Amino acid sequence: MPEGGAPPSDQMAIVLTESAADKLLPFATLVSGAVAMGMRVDVFASYWGLEAFRAKAAAAPAFVSPGHGEAGARLESSLRDKKAPNWRTILEMAKSLGELHIFACSQSMEIMGLTKADLDPIVEGVTGVATFVDRTRSANVTYFI
Amino acid sequence: MSAAETGSNPNETKRMLVDARGSWCPGPLMELVRVIQEEPVGTEFELLSSDEGSRKDVPMWLEKAKHQLIEVRAESGYDRYVIRKTH
Repeated sequence: MPEGGAPPSDQMAIVLTESAADKLLPFATLVSGAVAMGMRVDVFASYWGLEAFRAKAAAAPAFVSPGHGEAGARLESSLRDKKAPNWRTILEMAKSLGELHIFACSQSMEIMGLTKADLDPIVEGVTGVATFVDRTRSANVTYFI
Repeated sequence: MSAAETGSNPNETKRMLVDARGSWCPGPLMELVRVIQEEPVGTEFELLSSDEGSRKDVPMWLEKAKHQLIEVRAESGYDRYVIRKTH
């Protein structure tokens, strides 16, 4: 039974299209907050969002989105110096506490030449967009990151 | 992050220390959710958090999850939350 007292119908849907640390950390933080509140979370990883779930990507050093100049460089070193939690570790913890389902976008898989074996095992499966939309048609909170 | 039993008190309520100081939002709340899932009803927890977000997140979560917030105390550089798992 979900903690947080939320009815089982409470659901968050997230489409993730980014792979930089300044997107992945807020994403993982949002997911864990929602799971703590007893929500079921469904994630559709697409394009760079899917790149973040390539098996080897999680171990790579954090980088931030381009276009922020010196502020971006400062954030990168701040994330390292302050030993920011790894976004992947946050997701793992969220999954162990509640209901988190991560799916890979089949179109991105094809364009990027990936198979399920190339992906982090936290990804449950490869689905088309219609399947994801159907799973999340009753979601009461949706985000596009 | 660490959890340790702080020993039994006279009425034999189990009390557990959850030291989440230095853990970023929502780390302390996630630690609390985890130990509440794992430990038996009646267990008391002392959650230590230096995350400012916990001040609203923890009481709000406890109210929704219907567990008891016994005490909140500001310490030097962190807050101490005493919590009881009620169901």
